[in-house]
Amino acid sequence: MALRGICVLELAGLAPGPFCGMILADFGAQVVRVDRPGASGDVSHLSRGKRSLVLDLKRPRGAAVLRRMCARADVLLEPFRSGVMEQLKLGPEILQGENPKLIYARLSGFGQSGRFSRVAGHDINYLALSGVLSKIGRSGENPYPPLNLLADFGGGGLMCALGIMMALFERTRSGKGQVIDANMVEGTAYLSSFLWKTQELWTQPRGQNILDGGAPFYTTYKTADGEFMAVGAIEPQFYQLLLKGLGLQSDELPHQMSMMDWPEMKKKFADVFAKKTKAEWCQIFDGTDACVTPVLTFEEVVHHDHNKERGSFITGEEQDVSPRPAPLLSNTPAIPSSKRDPFVGEHSKEILKEFGFSQEEIDQLNSDKIIETNKPKANL
Amino acid sequence: MALRGICVLELAGLAPGPFCGMILADFGAQVVRVDRPGASGDVSHLSRGKRSLVLDLKRPRGAAVLRRMCARADVLLEPFRSGVMEQLKLGPEILQGENPKLIYARLSGFGQSGRFSRVAGHDINYLALSGVLSKIGRSGENPYPPLNLLADFGGGGLMCALGIMMALFERTRSGKGQVIDANMVEGTAYLSSFLWKTQELWTQPRGQNILDGGAPFYTTYKTADGEFMAVGAIEPQFYQLLLKGLRSPGQQRKHRWSPELEMPSFLLSPQDLDCNLMNFPIR
Repeated sequence: MALRGICVLELAGLAPGPFCGMILADFGAQVVRVDRPGASGDVSHLSRGKRSLVLDLKRPRGAAVLRRMCARADVLLEPFRSGVMEQLKLGPEILQGENPKLIYARLSGFGQSGRFSRVAGHDINYLALSGVLSKIGRSGENPYPPLNLLADFGGGGLMCALGIMMALFERTRSGKGQVIDANMVEGTAYLSSFLWKTQELWTQPRGQNILDGGAPFYTTYKTADGEFMAVGAIEPQFYQLLLKGLGLQSDELPHQMSMMDWPEMKKKFADVFAKKTKAEWCQIFDGTDACVTPVLTFEEVVHHDHNKERGSFITGEEQDVSPRPAPLLSNTPAIPSSKRDPFVGEHSKEILKEFGFSQEEIDQLNSDKIIETNKPKANL
Repeated sequence: MALRGICVLELAGLAPGPFCGMILADFGAQVVRVDRPGASGDVSHLSRGKRSLVLDLKRPRGAAVLRRMCARADVLLEPFRSGVMEQLKLGPEILQGENPKLIYARLSGFGQSGRFSRVAGHDINYLALSGVLSKIGRSGENPYPPLNLLADFGGGGLMCALGIMMALFERTRSGKGQVIDANMVEGTAYLSSFLWKTQELWTQPRGQNILDGGAPFYTTYKTADGEFMAVGAIEPQFYQLLLKGLRSPGQQRKHRWSPELEMPSFLLSPQDLDCNLMNFPIR
């Protein structure tokens, strides 16, 4: 696998960090999730392929264990607010002082500096501070964040994974690690560069532009059976195919790009879509260039012919379904673990042994509750 | 810079490919955008740091020029539907046959195989086929795509850039390039893995869950001057600070905001309130 032999220490946190760690694990890295004592585990359930060590970082001996592990690790991934690691005496100067090859990835909301850098927040706040949230939402409604996908994952975990890969690549030339300030405000803003570069596409109020819900040919419509179709027929030749499929005559309609007619056109299209079921619309539009596709539910998505042919969704040992890792690499594809996620502290002892701790040291750490081990009950 | 000396040939296309190429250029790669004759240029304006070559790939001599360039390039980035490059006799077998180190990145909507692989589409269609679009939207309204950010860029250009970096890294070990099938349906689905892994957070209809607009403490509010504030006060201690700031002492009694929705227990465990070590004193 692409990241074979790469060792990642991921300090447990909420969604963005775990997603970043999961990408690295999916593509072959050895990822150890460092949990706090008493933690209930990865609430985001993004721990595929990882192992868990429980370590009390607040106690000096616990921090010392991590320092020792970092001397042998390739990547440290920490999700805390600015200053927390420094307070634990686990800041980059110390850890990279001991291991100059260490890639120190800091995935935060607001960044390592700046007025908000020590303040709590969530996806919606980072999205708001990036400016992007102000662009998303229907006309006349409040701005609407698309769940927590853009900041936590797009501009957060995924952007951080990109940074880690760049640092790993650069290290093959320089022999040195780096500190990565991957924060979700900037990551989301950068992800959305297109909005800044194409201001001519966003001249109307929110929800009234081509790509944000204003256009009748770029939106969703309800079908006769209460389901939805997605229409994305921007180019004129695709738009013609859309009209054809809807049974409408273009010479009886306003020009596609006549924005003042868009509200009326949306009503017209809505009336037509409401007359047939989702399956009927798929019969009409599947395989054409009209850019009309069903809005698949999570139940449907696994069984849809296109996704099924490609094997886009995978099933784990516990019959849990999730998306196959992307993108597909021809020689060293991701091999996502099919096993269940680790229990908190399930691998504490074996991990420390691999990192060069003796049995005596491990036993002492365990009895002093610097580490915790939670072995699942054996199936006899 | 991280990608100093890396040579990228980007075949011109719409937003996702240019964004991927721009990331590589921003981090130091030499990116050449290969435009078609008569093209009006990069309509997405994501060409920072690139140079442009106009080349007629449809003519055999034009394709031969690209083949010769690919012999010296590190990355080829093509945005076409499955089969187009093969038709131009510029498919991976040919180009990697001549240069086994070439990383051949294919950034498409539906992928290099499958029933829809030769069909036209845009962000909204890929988002729809990934299942993710069905989750986004206010209660009682149609599903609503967040502009073209999730599929074109998150699951598209950015995911492809990740794949290219993985292939570049892997090549330092193996000496060989790879073919990358980076498509926006799968990229967007993978980006949204969280939704699959936390089904307990999405039990209500669209728009009525904690993170999709259902909760009063995770949404936007209009202000007196017609502007907006974003509220994301999920954890109880943050919620208390929200109430304090709103100066509503009467609401500080424990109350349920919806009978169907329980605050997930993981957010109430004392250890997990520690999610940012926020009770750790910062001096």
